[in-house]
Amino acid sequence: MSADKYEVIIIGGGPSGLAAAYKLAQAGVEVVLVERGDYCGSKNLSGGVFYTRVLDQLIPGFWEEAPVERYITNYVTTLMDKEDYFNLDYKGQALSKAPYNAFSVLRAKFDRWLAEKAEDAGVMLANGIKVEKVLKEGNKVTGIVAGDEEMLADVVIAADGINSFIAQEAGLRGPIKLEHLAVGAKALIELPRETIEERFRLTGNEGTAYAMLGEASHGVAGGAFLYTNLDSLSIGVVLRLDDLVKAGVKPAEVLDDLLEHPMVAPLVKDGKMVEYGAHLTAEGGLHMVPQQLVADGFIMVGDAAGFTINSGLVIRGMDLAVGSGIAAAEAIIEAKEKNDFSAASLNSYKRRLDESFVMKDLKTYAKAPIFMENDRLYKSYSKLANDIFGKVYNHDLTPKELLLKTALKALKENNLSIFDLARDGFKGVRAL
Amino acid sequence: MNVITCYKIVPDDQDIIVRDDRTLELGKAELEIGQYDLPAIEAGMQVVADAGGKVSALSVGPKLLENSKLKKAVLSRGPADLYLVVDDSLADADTHQTARTLAAAIQKIGNIDLVLCGEGSSDLYSQQVGAQLGELLGMANINAVSKITVEGDKLIVERTLEDEVEVLEVSLPAVISVTTDIVQPRIPSMKEVLSAGKKPVTQWSLADIGLADNPQTIETIDTLAPELAERKQIVIEGDSEDAVNELWENLRQELQ
Ligand SMILES: Cc1cc2nc3c(=O)[nH]c(=O)nc-3n(C[C@H](O)[C@H](O)[C@H](O)COP(=O)(O)OP(=O)(O)OC[C@H]3O[C@@H](n4cnc5c(N)ncnc54)[C@H](O)[C@@H]3O)c2cc1C
Ligand SMILES: Cc1cc2nc3c(=O)[nH]c(=O)nc-3n(C[C@H](O)[C@H](O)[C@H](O)COP(=O)(O)OP(=O)(O)OC[C@H]3O[C@@H](n4cnc5c(N)ncnc54)[C@H](O)[C@@H]3O)c2cc1C
Repeated sequence: MSADKYEVIIIGGGPSGLAAAYKLAQAGVEVVLVERGDYCGSKNLSGGVFYTRVLDQLIPGFWEEAPVERYITNYVTTLMDKEDYFNLDYKGQALSKAPYNAFSVLRAKFDRWLAEKAEDAGVMLANGIKVEKVLKEGNKVTGIVAGDEEMLADVVIAADGINSFIAQEAGLRGPIKLEHLAVGAKALIELPRETIEERFRLTGNEGTAYAMLGEASHGVAGGAFLYTNLDSLSIGVVLRLDDLVKAGVKPAEVLDDLLEHPMVAPLVKDGKMVEYGAHLTAEGGLHMVPQQLVADGFIMVGDAAGFTINSGLVIRGMDLAVGSGIAAAEAIIEAKEKNDFSAASLNSYKRRLDESFVMKDLKTYAKAPIFMENDRLYKSYSKLANDIFGKVYNHDLTPKELLLKTALKALKENNLSIFDLARDGFKGVRAL
Repeated sequence: MNVITCYKIVPDDQDIIVRDDRTLELGKAELEIGQYDLPAIEAGMQVVADAGGKVSALSVGPKLLENSKLKKAVLSRGPADLYLVVDDSLADADTHQTARTLAAAIQKIGNIDLVLCGEGSSDLYSQQVGAQLGELLGMANINAVSKITVEGDKLIVERTLEDEVEVLEVSLPAVISVTTDIVQPRIPSMKEVLSAGKKPVTQWSLADIGLADNPQTIETIDTLAPELAERKQIVIEGDSEDAVNELWENLRQELQ
């Protein structure tokens, strides 16, 4: 069977693949994007907080037309004990002004919109098709295989997400190590708009993002999140696989318990659960990014290249996905001018990434995953904070002690030393 | 042979929510090609594979037909081109309005040998449109067809009845409604999906097909889900003798 040939084939229609496709099509490059879902976003559970400044570069003023939910103005960090909790609540007015810092998005809507934008720009979309293999001639990637059909391209972009077997096939990435894997369990809960705005003290399209540590994850390494959408809440837990196995709990149980926690229960009360699901994800960070991001005729972007940051306080991936998609498109546009699609020519991608926020932020947060491996973070500190505040506010007619003494006592009761605290505090400040 | 396959865009029934008052909430439902129309499209492809010719797809309905994903969905299943008649007054068209609109479009396309319909639309399932369309076009007209074989300028078709198979010779032009077991519809391949975006689409208004006046003859009062049957909700767990006896005892009481 004769194989059709295109300039660029992109595997995967998430934010990374779509950003690259859009940018390439705008520059007049002939792009085919193959996505296994019936529509882009259909395979992407619920939602997340998208740090969208980079999207404004790709599609200026996107919020005027994109189906974004709420711009996030309130960030709450929760240290959760079994029944008690300690919140750090930040609200910044600057966050409520265009071009906006971050939006909550529901991927089923958002990715679909981005796909329509890409299609309008000239991208040829093939939905409902799963790419099974890449075609290779020696080390050079020459095309893709789906079903019994082959399709050739000057450049193939792997944008197929965290489990990218395409990157593995191209020989650029080994399987992900167990300790770098995590399970995400998420739910989408519908509530009337006014109820959300009242419960979270929001005006208009303002939104809140919670990062919850400690008992929120049953003390398993990881954390939990809660985001407000227009008329729904995205809530979920991310649990590191090795620790989860050790703890012997199921992700769904952790999420169910979180939904019943005294802090969360009143926020989700009377809500209607419309989606519930779990899937594998990666802790990400610089150490997951492979040495080589390009091969002859081949580039990796987004999660497929390991571009995620999970600092405990923020989960980021969509912004890095779009940033890397743009950088890949620029590298290909330049390679096309030279008509040279070798690894050496495409490697301007690496330089562009290094110069952009993608690599800079990955480097900044490089220590976060190691810091996040510290058990005390999940198992001890939430309890400690709650113990201290419990003692400060509890007037049970025993004589009060000064805060420092109370704190030292709480440390001792939690089997922690002031040195642990100082060391972790120092490491944390450096890593985050 | 020039073949037209008719299809209706319907809400995916898996996403339809039945409210407490039995009315339907369609807002969350993805739109798709009617499940019973897919075999008709595939049957059309088989006819031209055997006898040569061309399959065109045809749908009439409101503006949502213009959705590029839906247009590609039908064209990726084989038809060479697509005709749409779009008018928002067709949103809740009754079977007669639909049949009249289809007939006018088919007459405008002209020179058609065979029109294929599904056995019914997968939302309302009136099973009326095929028959009315045949009548309006004055063509031979038959439903429940489970096999089509082209023989010269005629078709040999089969209808599977309760305990026999009816074999009929049909002269052309004809309007035929096919059953779902006539042929397994294809899953479009990558190249079919990509080429679908390049195939020609002709879109008409009601005025374009001379049907500016196409009144609804039936007034729909309600569309309600059937009353839910009361269930006993008795769950017996285990495979012990006792469990079996309990099951039997319950069944026995019900049958008395
Ligand atoms: C629980 C959880 C919470 C998160 N929260 C946030 C958050 O709040 N903010 C944030 O910025 N990020 C968050 N992320 C990370 C974010 O989801 C990812 O970083 C981002 O989606 C990466 O985009 P991508 O385009 O690289 O990959 P994806 O979005 O994963 O897209 C890959 C696409 O490729 C398709 N595909 C895969 N294989 C094939 C194949 N063989 N053939 C065809 N198509 C294929 C898939 O169907 C999919 O559509 C979260 C992740 C998880 C798991
Ligand atoms: C689930 C279901 C829902 C229905 N809902 C509706 C509805 O909402 N509204 C509505 O109006 N009808 C509806 N119908 C269809 C309607 O019940 C029958 O089509 C109608 O009663 C015709 O009955 P009949 O006795 O004339 O012929 P039938 O007993 O239906 O048919 C006998 C046979 O005669 C042949 N035949 C019948 N008419 C023609 C014809 N015009 N040309 C050639 N051959 C013909 C057919 O081969 C048929 O098998 C529904 C049917 C079903 C199964």
